Amino acid sequence: MEYMQIANSAPMWIAAGVAIALVLYQAFVFARKSYATGKTIGLSDAQMRSAMKCSMITSIGPSLVILTGLLSLLVTVGGPMAWMRLSFIGSVMFELMAVGFGAEAVGVNLGIDPMTKIAFANAVWTMILGSLGWIIFATLTADKMDKAQARFLKGDKGLLTVIPVAAMLGSFGSLVSGHLVALNKNTVAAISGGLIMAIAVQLSEKKDLKWLKEWGLAIALFGGMIVAAVL
Amino acid sequence: MASKRGVYEGEYLPFIVRFGKVTGWLAVLLSFGPAIVLAAVYGLIPPASAIFTAFIALASAVGVNWFVEPISYFPIIGVAGTYMAFISGNISNLRIPAAAIAQKMAGVEPGTPEGSIVATLGMAVSVLVNTLILVVGVLAGSTLLARLPANVVEAFDYLLPSLFGAIFVQFAMVKFKLAPIALGIALALTLAINGGVFDFLPGRPTYLITLCAVFGTIAIAAVMHKRESREGAKK
Repeated sequence: MEYMQIANSAPMWIAAGVAIALVLYQAFVFARKSYATGKTIGLSDAQMRSAMKCSMITSIGPSLVILTGLLSLLVTVGGPMAWMRLSFIGSVMFELMAVGFGAEAVGVNLGIDPMTKIAFANAVWTMILGSLGWIIFATLTADKMDKAQARFLKGDKGLLTVIPVAAMLGSFGSLVSGHLVALNKNTVAAISGGLIMAIAVQLSEKKDLKWLKEWGLAIALFGGMIVAAVL
Repeated sequence: MASKRGVYEGEYLPFIVRFGKVTGWLAVLLSFGPAIVLAAVYGLIPPASAIFTAFIALASAVGVNWFVEPISYFPIIGVAGTYMAFISGNISNLRIPAAAIAQKMAGVEPGTPEGSIVATLGMAVSVLVNTLILVVGVLAGSTLLARLPANVVEAFDYLLPSLFGAIFVQFAMVKFKLAPIALGIALALTLAINGGVFDFLPGRPTYLITLCAVFGTIAIAAVMHKRESREGAKK
């Protein structure tokens, strides 16, 4: 049997499907609990529904990007692994790197040599073991980090709302900086995405446009993409 | 206000922590599923030395991120978000944008009980949308990719930088004074790394940018906040 037949076989689909079912189940339980608790502490149905609708609209664009990544992964590791790794844990860059290292360790250079069964199996092991660090560390520390943060804040409620914004600016500042210094089409995309967002936020707040609040981010990210592609 | 905190800390969080831990460890187990299938059904077991070699190579490339990312993203996504994000992946490019836009739409502040509840709702929705789109995608498979014109596929490369720019600006408009500081730190470190200042560290130490930009900005924000509230108290 060719490795690709194994990679796309029914047992592999089942193994991937079970893992993805866990992610969906967790999301469902967390959402149900959050919705109920939200109501108890005074959030309205309208508030939470519009927030969820807005997340739905915003998720479409990035999911399409992930989909193009999935298609590039699909060619080397087959449907089930690509599907599982990108709905469960991974990101495209990491997975491609893991596949590369995994195959290389049994002497297969991707793109030069044909993939063998054992190289595929080793790539699968590498993807799994390489991503365990994130799950284990996050699972072990999530509740402890909450306590550490509370100690750092010492009950200062104002600071509590400043820190997430500072963390956002820091992490997205570092994500965008690589594209800004690249001075290529990525730079154009980053700047025009930012500019369109600035205009959308201004407009939606001044004129109180609800639809623009919902669609603003989606418009900005596709807008930035189109400007970069056309220029 | 006290009862809100009470419900959140006394009832909501313990539930999330308990369930989050169970699902986290289950995720560790289930992620081995495909490897078990390959071994049990097809008798494919790579030599231990090969697994080890590849693992070490990968760990030296990304291992720092196992610790840096959960710590750096925690102040943004909170307890429930951390449990969700690190088993569903795609954090910066999907989970956080979905959480942030939900908070903005509901008009709640990040860091508050309301904020984390709404962020969790937003992330849960993004898990659903993401999974659905990928199911459709993987079923349509490579035929879909083959049918798209090449320039459309290429254009998708620009969607992420555009998203990062837009999210940064969205938060820059919340804290106007902090934005140049965050971007300044990040740009300076990016240029330093590109210029080879940190070449003595193994690999390409991009985690330094995230680490310093996140905690540098938090530190400066905390100092600015303390000074402002002290001045406010004097008046």
